[in-house]
Amino acid sequence: MFKRIAVANDGSEGGRRALELACDLAKLHRSTLHMISVEELPDFPATIDEVAETKQAENHKFHDVLAHARKIAKAKGVKLQAEVVAGHAASTIVERVKAMKADLLVVGFMGHSALYERIIGGTADRLVRLAPCPVLVVK
Amino acid sequence: MVDNVWLTSALWIGLALVSALISIRLALSVALIEIMVGAIAGNVIGLPLTPWINYLAGFGAILLTFLAGAEVDMDVVRRNVGASIGIGFVSFLFPYLGCMLAARYLLDWDWPQAQIAGISLSTTSVAVVYAVMIETGLNKTELGKIILAACFITDLGTVLALGIVFASFTAWLLAFAAATVIVAWLMPKIAPWFFAKVGRRVSEPEIKFLLLVLFALGGFATAVGSEAVLPAYVIGMALAPAFQRDPDLPHRMRVIAFAVLTPFYFLKAGSLVEAATLVSGTALIGLFLGLKMATKFIGILPLTRYYRFENREGMYTTLLMSTGLTFGSISALYGLTNNIIDQRQYTILLTAVIASAVVPTVIAQRWFLPKIGAVKQEV
Repeated sequence: MFKRIAVANDGSEGGRRALELACDLAKLHRSTLHMISVEELPDFPATIDEVAETKQAENHKFHDVLAHARKIAKAKGVKLQAEVVAGHAASTIVERVKAMKADLLVVGFMGHSALYERIIGGTADRLVRLAPCPVLVVK
Repeated sequence: MVDNVWLTSALWIGLALVSALISIRLALSVALIEIMVGAIAGNVIGLPLTPWINYLAGFGAILLTFLAGAEVDMDVVRRNVGASIGIGFVSFLFPYLGCMLAARYLLDWDWPQAQIAGISLSTTSVAVVYAVMIETGLNKTELGKIILAACFITDLGTVLALGIVFASFTAWLLAFAAATVIVAWLMPKIAPWFFAKVGRRVSEPEIKFLLLVLFALGGFATAVGSEAVLPAYVIGMALAPAFQRDPDLPHRMRVIAFAVLTPFYFLKAGSLVEAATLVSGTALIGLFLGLKMATKFIGILPLTRYYRFENREGMYTTLLMSTGLTFGSISALYGLTNNIIDQRQYTILLTAVIASAVVPTVIAQRWFLPKIGAVKQEV
């Protein structure tokens, strides 16, 4: 049913759960599995160094995220293609999903307060609205 | 409470901490959040400015400008000297003249006030452009390097204008200019030699040496009616190659700047914003933002055609170069601190500067992203 599954993993607990379920689905449907991780850089920075230091910190973080993801995929017997992209989470994931023509996007759900959801909104909400394919939100 | 130095310090650092946490949560620049937090605190609870707060804020501005100069990549400027100087100079000159003349003849501001308007709105935010470059992968392309180099030239124009326009043209100004040029020429030779001699110590003699140079030249600048950030930027540019070879020293200076000093600067900048003017001055804020963007377009877009940028790349370049934040706020605050502009004019200009960091970036990213794939990497 799903030829190409994309999973968004930001290194959080929700991202890990999404990855595990995506691996199970990929095995069940014999799909290719692509993991997308987005390095979020600060918007409207004051100095180049603010950007460079954030990028370095994100590089470190996603180095571990990638290693952990490969372990999970290997344990489940699934081949994982992973990429780390700098940008804004929702728009970058949507762009990558469109580019790879994924049939399904799997994302984790991070519970925020009702006030946060109302004012700022979560990435999962935005992905459900903007993604060009079905979205599975894992809680 | 103003008399209690430690309680006042706790308040300001508390606001800085809140700003840092908000910036991390929202992935927004801490400088922008500090300005907003300062504006809210200044209008809600009042943030009285004491001499020592003004000193720390001024120190922060000097260090910020020095570190901005130290980020200039002179190799990139040299490799694309025609395009970068051409685009950078026009990027400064057109909004400077356009906004200054509009302030003078449309709004009937005095000439010094109009100058501040022109200088504040002539800037380009190198950091905003750099962040966008990283996200799009353009930082690795020749186009991206030309844009960045042009941004450095624009900021140099802004800093020079701020340092020269309000200075008294006396023999002392010439002496200051000569001293700055000589020190800038000597520093790339002396500083590495001195750093190698003293080595890395807990007492940080390298940082103390740099601060001595910045304070001495800053004091000279102030004495002749110029502005301390001018020599700071020039010395930063002179040391940029050395700092790129050894990034640990600028990193340590950034820690000092961002932990303790620049929060006082940005919080102060925000605290002086008048809430009432944000509402009553909306039209003027929009006017200045529109003028900045329009003049950048008139100046830069034709040049991008001349240097054979594609249409989309030309629009993208022009929009990115319409951004501004740090130097714009420094210029506006300079005007207020030196009683050239009043608080209403300051509010209008600072808000227009902040809007110029946001609006062109959003438009560029949404509609004019060049067709280059985002840089994918496996970490």
